[in-house]
Amino acid sequence: MGVFVLCDQSLELLLTKTGHGLKFDRTALHLSHPAAFVFISGNKAEMEDFWAGALWALKIWLYLIVGLIMIPAMFGFSLGISETYMTILVKTLEWATLKIQKASSDEQKLKASASNGLIQREDGSMEKELEDLRRSCPKLPVGGNFTLSDCFYFTRKGIESIVEDEVTQRFSSEELVSWNLLTRNNNDFQYISLRLTLVYGLGIIIRYCILAPLRITLACIGLSWLVIGTSAVGLLPNWRIKFWLSEWVHVMCYRICARGLSATIRYHNRENKPRKGGICVANHTSPIDIVILCNDGCYAMVGQVHGGLMGVVQRAMVRSCPHVWFERAEMKDRHLVTKRLKDHVNDKTKLPILIFPEGTCVNNTSVMMFKKGSFEIGATIYPVAIKYDLKFGDAFWNSSKYSMVSYLLRMMTSWALVCNVWYLPAMHQQEGEDAVQFANRVKSAIAHQGGLVDLQWDGGLKRAKVKETFKEQEQKKYSNMVVGEDSGSNSD
Amino acid sequence: MGALQSAPGHQEYIDLAEKTGFSFEQIGVLHKRFKQLSHNQETLRREHFNEIPDLACNPIRAQIVEAFFDRRNIRQNGGGTVEEIGFEEFLVVMSHFRPPSLHMTNEQRENVRREKLRFLFNMHDTDNDGTITLEEYRHVVEELLSRSGTLEKETAKSIADAAMLEVASISMGHMEPDEFYEGITFEHFDKLLIEFEIESKMNIRFLNMDTTTLCK
Repeated sequence: MGVFVLCDQSLELLLTKTGHGLKFDRTALHLSHPAAFVFISGNKAEMEDFWAGALWALKIWLYLIVGLIMIPAMFGFSLGISETYMTILVKTLEWATLKIQKASSDEQKLKASASNGLIQREDGSMEKELEDLRRSCPKLPVGGNFTLSDCFYFTRKGIESIVEDEVTQRFSSEELVSWNLLTRNNNDFQYISLRLTLVYGLGIIIRYCILAPLRITLACIGLSWLVIGTSAVGLLPNWRIKFWLSEWVHVMCYRICARGLSATIRYHNRENKPRKGGICVANHTSPIDIVILCNDGCYAMVGQVHGGLMGVVQRAMVRSCPHVWFERAEMKDRHLVTKRLKDHVNDKTKLPILIFPEGTCVNNTSVMMFKKGSFEIGATIYPVAIKYDLKFGDAFWNSSKYSMVSYLLRMMTSWALVCNVWYLPAMHQQEGEDAVQFANRVKSAIAHQGGLVDLQWDGGLKRAKVKETFKEQEQKKYSNMVVGEDSGSNSD
Repeated sequence: MGALQSAPGHQEYIDLAEKTGFSFEQIGVLHKRFKQLSHNQETLRREHFNEIPDLACNPIRAQIVEAFFDRRNIRQNGGGTVEEIGFEEFLVVMSHFRPPSLHMTNEQRENVRREKLRFLFNMHDTDNDGTITLEEYRHVVEELLSRSGTLEKETAKSIADAAMLEVASISMGHMEPDEFYEGITFEHFDKLLIEFEIESKMNIRFLNMDTTTLCK
């Protein structure tokens, strides 16, 4: 319909003559009116111009991307564009925070930060509290050291865990203390001032119309280059240069992908970087963790064989350097898994393995139980702590809420991705320490470094139920108090 | 009303605050928790409670969960239980554990006390006949004590019996040999716990919250 805008006088004349308004018969025009010839050919030319213009714009766009983003990514230097973007972003967010705080302090509203907890709990142990309760109602019958007041303690503890517990809150996104101008994080924040709303609106335009297409283009380029590049390298025979090239291709593609997410990553303690023949262990927040870590070095991945696009990528990657992909059936056989990992680790030419022992994505406020499988292999463990900055974009993948594609789109329409990566010194299994204790030790180190809460609970609780044995333990504890170690009957 | 900030369903919050006595902030927090537990659905069912790991460790978890679905606790008429509860019922049950506000007359305090006692009584009196019978008492003791290892079922039973006997002697005074002690009625329960400061011991305290309520 845009063609009509470009049309010349001859068409207007024709239209008024035939009185058809916008509707006209092309063939009739062609035959009957000489001006129509001019119009039709003019029409075609306009159309071609339009497409030519569009193509030209697309070419410029691609050249810009290649020049400003891909080439620096390939060779590892930076032009400073993303740095300027980040500085502007940080300043804007600080300004927004100030405005919001000013507005809310007028009304004395304090938002409790998530880490302080919702309710105040008693700090005493079970024994101490039960004693307190018993002392406060001496009139209650005591039969064998059991009184009715004991169940009050358990009732209160039960209600407390219903209001707030350590585990379920880890499987949903962390809450922001102050709004960061993204719609998705707008829980309780509301209209403050016109300027803030304008900035927010501008933010939406920038994020969805400028940044998102750019990032999607980059991601596609990065991914296709990964497949093509690794397949090409895979065709080479096993010379030294093959390893070097393969590493280069991998790192380059991950760098492009990282630019595709506007990721700003700060690496700390790089002297502790994982070396060949070891296992690199990190806390898991989202699939993007892989991109973050692989930006700074090459790792061998471990995982299940997928179909579809992921399968293509997996097969391509394995051509250039060895990764460890398992079939679904093989994953059930723990001995097989351990053996394959052991073989990989013992071969000193192969890259360090990257494993996420939590087994599932957690929301980056805590570290959950590490599965002991990777700690039984006996290799050197290189722990790595990853902590995302929530202000710029929430990286947690809530797999029950979002599919992978919608998650990636959300990532691409956030402000940016800012995270810190700490490489911790290598750890070995000590004498007399079993795999579980070793795993816990590594977990504590990672939690401590990243400022995360160290939990004993299993990340698998996201989907599975708690085992009955935990309840048994509490019962046993209480029974010992009430009845004592010897199971003599107390009544007479 | 200047302190009200963007509560979704603003009007509902006012109603709920009046009904249960929680402040708006507390209702907001509990609403978030409700949505978290119910996975953003409108109602909670028993299996949602069973997903909380901390609660799974609690020996009387089953009774606590049942208390949420008990019609008496959610102020519905009739006995028995419901299958699912909405946010309002959740709040009503939670309000049994609200700390008493500082400005309360003696009568109000007494009411709060009786409410909390009633809640605990209902937890034990599962068949809603107004008394905690020996059977029901035994059941509670069994739940609390471990079934394996050091304890056998007999021990739990005998503990419960002994306790019941004492209660009977306290409440009824001297009993004839063939008199049968029905069970602990609510009045007895109240009398037994007369010294127990239930209104200060049985509550959940919120941190950092603006606890002003509508009735100040």
